[in-house]
This record gives sequence, structure tokens and C-alpha cells, in this order.
Amino acid sequence: MGMVKDFFSGIYNLVVGLFVTGKHLGRHAITLQYPKERWEMPERSRGVVVLLSDPETGELNCTACLLCMKACPTGAIIIDREKNPETKRWFPTKFVIDNTICAFCGLCEESCNFDAIKLTGKYEFSVFDQSELIYDMDRLAELGRDVKYTPRKKPAAKKAAEQKKPPAEGKKPDEKKEDTAEKKPEEKPDKIETNPAEKKEEKAEASDKKTEDQESRKPEEAKQGDLGLDKEEDKKESGN
Amino acid sequence: MFLGIELPQIVLSAIYFALTLGVVLLMALFLVWWERKVSAHIQVRFGPMMTGKWHGWSQTLADALKLLQKEDIVPRAADKGVYFWAPVIVFGATMMTFVVIPWSPRFIAADLNVGILYIIAITTFTIISLLMAGWGSNNKYSLLGGMRSAAQIVSYEVPLTLSIMGVVLLAQSLSMQDIVADQNKFWNWNIIRQPLGFLVYLVAATAEVNRTPFDLPEAEQELVAGFNVEYSGMKFAMFFLAEFVNMFVVAAIATALFLGGWWGPFGNESLGWLWFVLKSMGVVFVLMWFRWTYPRLRVDHLMEFAWKWLLPLAFLNLLATGLIYNLVK
Repeated sequence: MGMVKDFFSGIYNLVVGLFVTGKHLGRHAITLQYPKERWEMPERSRGVVVLLSDPETGELNCTACLLCMKACPTGAIIIDREKNPETKRWFPTKFVIDNTICAFCGLCEESCNFDAIKLTGKYEFSVFDQSELIYDMDRLAELGRDVKYTPRKKPAAKKAAEQKKPPAEGKKPDEKKEDTAEKKPEEKPDKIETNPAEKKEEKAEASDKKTEDQESRKPEEAKQGDLGLDKEEDKKESGN
Repeated sequence: MFLGIELPQIVLSAIYFALTLGVVLLMALFLVWWERKVSAHIQVRFGPMMTGKWHGWSQTLADALKLLQKEDIVPRAADKGVYFWAPVIVFGATMMTFVVIPWSPRFIAADLNVGILYIIAITTFTIISLLMAGWGSNNKYSLLGGMRSAAQIVSYEVPLTLSIMGVVLLAQSLSMQDIVADQNKFWNWNIIRQPLGFLVYLVAATAEVNRTPFDLPEAEQELVAGFNVEYSGMKFAMFFLAEFVNMFVVAAIATALFLGGWWGPFGNESLGWLWFVLKSMGVVFVLMWFRWTYPRLRVDHLMEFAWKWLLPLAFLNLLATGLIYNLVK
């Protein structure tokens, strides 16, 4: 009897096996066909460094303050600058990032107060010659054209976030909040324009759970940005 | 009769041969592509996607063209004659089985009155050619693969033949057309009348064409590629094509013997060939499904299974069929 029982349980198991593979046969393949399809990288992923420019005027956000150059631990950033005699503002004449020595640490992005330099989700570097990895200003600006990012330079964004939600666990000192409050009126319209557009883009991207994380992280990021910005702007103003 | 014109038998045979050769080669290419697709989707992949834009449909065509251009490497210590003839024989034997495949009520090259016996005899050539390939290559892996293959096919030939005997008993004929014609209603299909026979046939046939879980002759992990290790270029392609065509032949025989052959659900005989091909492809798909589901058997289990399980079951089937047939009659 044992043999007969074995026989039938064996056949049963074989059929179960067929069903398992049959189920997988019906599933859609999880393969990502790389050259045709690419992952949507999170906004804060650290890939190619680009220079961001104003979407309306097309001018670089960079003010040639040299902070990123000083912050860069490997010395991958080289900037030459000149002063515009009319506006009395610095602007970069040469902005070179040497990707052969860049460590993708993101310190340049953190040090920047003007949303001028950013690490992006782009990751395709391959070239035939190392010298092609040294990106000049035009190249960096071109790479930055279509980059979506959360502007950090908008104190209004912080205010709006505060109005909607209660402030997050008292992470920032109150004095700073008051500082930024003075600047709100001017920049508010700007914020209203940009934010809905960003949300749309994110919905389009939302094929991945990662984007959700990103969204939840965003307000905090904006706040931190504001804090840094305020400090730096204060300094700058006092310096000038 | 061919397209309404009366032609001499020799011309008809030539037409049939050319048609079969073309269709079979195309089908082999299709089957290789299909197998890759099935395996890929079972593993939640895509399989070939690039060649020919639409799901890589021309991938195997490109592979075959590449193999045609390849240098034909012959090992220095090979037995040249044996080495050369092995792929020819395996491919020839495979093609020869198409003589008695009943595509439709009229479309059959020769309705031999010993049809099924002829197939059993012809498929045995495969063993010889695999042994030749294994021996002629003068390579230990090839030889082991060839020996395993011979042992396996000889063992499984016995239950295979016995499972077919039940069908022959019911149809009272060895002719393929008579056997198909006998299954004129769905409940007369031999899969209904002979479920055990069908099971034994399917298992033995899987072993016969060296497919997983009985693919010991070409167990990659042990034997690199089995009997065809030393083959390259078009000779390798011959083995490869023969393997896939053999799979179709086995499926076609299963269709003719157990699944009602060209009988469709509506009794329309003009579409017989379509039903036949569809059913055969269904069986081929089951064989592929087996391959990507089951792990390989161990050599002693393989033999034990053939002699201790399949053979008694085949005998039981034959005995029961004979008894019931006589009682009913």
C-alpha cells in the first residue's frame, strides 16, 4: 500500500509543480529592458553633477560664489569668475567638473545656496576617452536643462508647509522662522506656480514606491534648505 | 491528387518531401524560439526581444545563419567517418518519421500498413547516431553522454511501445490513418479510452527525446553538453534541429494516437491539418513546461522508474485494454 500511496502523492506533487511554473508563465516579466527603459531615479540620488538654470530665462542659477569649489573634497570643481560691471554681480566664465575625480559626495550641492549645482539621477557616463569625462560649463548646463528639483531657495514654500501642517518636532529654532517670515510676501506667487507642476511630474514618475518616500521627505528638505539659505544670505548681505 | 491535378506518385512524393522539409525546418526554428520564450516567461523574464523587432522572432533564424558560417572543427583524434555521419543519420531518421505523420485525412506521404511500427523502428536510429556521435568525437563527455543516451532510450523504448500497443489493439490496425479514423468522437479519443496508456507514453516519450527530467545524456553540469560537445557549426545545428524536430514528432505521434489526430470539434475534415498542428503544439508546450518545471533524475532512479514503474503500468494497461475489448466485443 505504501508504494501506491507514494505513487499518487508523487503524481500530485508533480502536478503542483506544474501549477507553480504555470502561474509564473502568466505573470508579466519583471525585466527592465535597459536601453529602451530606465529606472526613474529618486530626486536626491547622487549621479552626474549638473548646473541648473532658470527655466524661464535659461540663465544659470550660479552666482560664482565659489562655495562648491571650496566644499569639494577632491577638488573636482574649477570655477573662473568675472563681475558684471552693471549689476555688480559675479558670474562664472568657466565652470569645470572633472568627473574622473568627483566622489559624488554631494557636498557641492549642500553648500550651494542658489539651486545652482545638483547631483542628478543620471548615471550614464561611459566614454571612450577619460578626457571626455571633464565636463565644461555648456555641457553641465545642458545636462541640467531637464532636471526636476525641489527649489530650496523659496522661503514661501516653508511657510505654506507650516500652514498646512503643524511644524515637525521643533527641529528648527524659532528665531530662524521669524527671519524668513519677513521675506514671504515677495516670493509666494513663485512658489504657487512651481509646486503643482512638480506634483504632476511626480505622479507621472510614481511607477515606484520610492517616489512616495521622496514626497514625504520633501517638506523637511525644503525647510533645511531654507535654514541654510537664510544663514548664507545674511552672511552675504553683511559681507557686501 | 494535389491541388486538383492528377500527378504521378513520384512527383507527389517529391512535392511532399520538399514541403515537409521546409515546414519542418521552419518549425524547428520556431520551436527553439518558442522554447526560449516559454522558459523565459516561466522564469519571469522576456527571453529574446531584440532580433527582428517583434519579440525577437528572428533570433533563431539569425542563430542558424551564424552556425552556417562557422568553421567546422573536427577533433584531431576523432573517428572522421563516424563523426561525420552521426548528425546526418540523426537528422535523416528524424525526417523519415514524417512519412507516416497523418496531417489530415488525405495529406500523408505514405499510409503504411505498419505505420506505427515503422515509427518505432525509425526512431531507434537516433540511439545509433547518438552513440556514433559520442564514440566518434573521442571525448569522455561525449562518450558518457552517448552511452547514457543509448541506455536510456533502449529502456524507455519498451514501455513506450507497450503503451502504443493498447491503442493498436483498439484500432485493430498499425496504420496511422486507421488509428486516427478510429477516434471519430471526442469520447473515442484514446486519451479518454486509454488514460494510463497516454501517461506512460508521455513519460516515455519525454525520455525518448532526452528532455528534462530525463535529459541525462546532455546533463550540462556533468557532461558539458553530452554527446554533441565536440560538434560545431552546421553539424551542431543538425543535432540541435533534430532534437527539436524529434520533440515535434513525439508530440505529433501523441496527437495521432491519443488526441484524435486531425479530428476537430466540428467534424470538419478540411481543417484537419490545423487541428493536428494545434494539438501537436499543445503537446510540445506540455513537454516544454515539463522541462522548465522538473529537476533532472539520477541515473539509477531513471532506470528504476522505467523498469519498475512504467513497464508494469504499460503491461497493466495492455492487459486491461485486451480484457475490456474482448468483453465489450
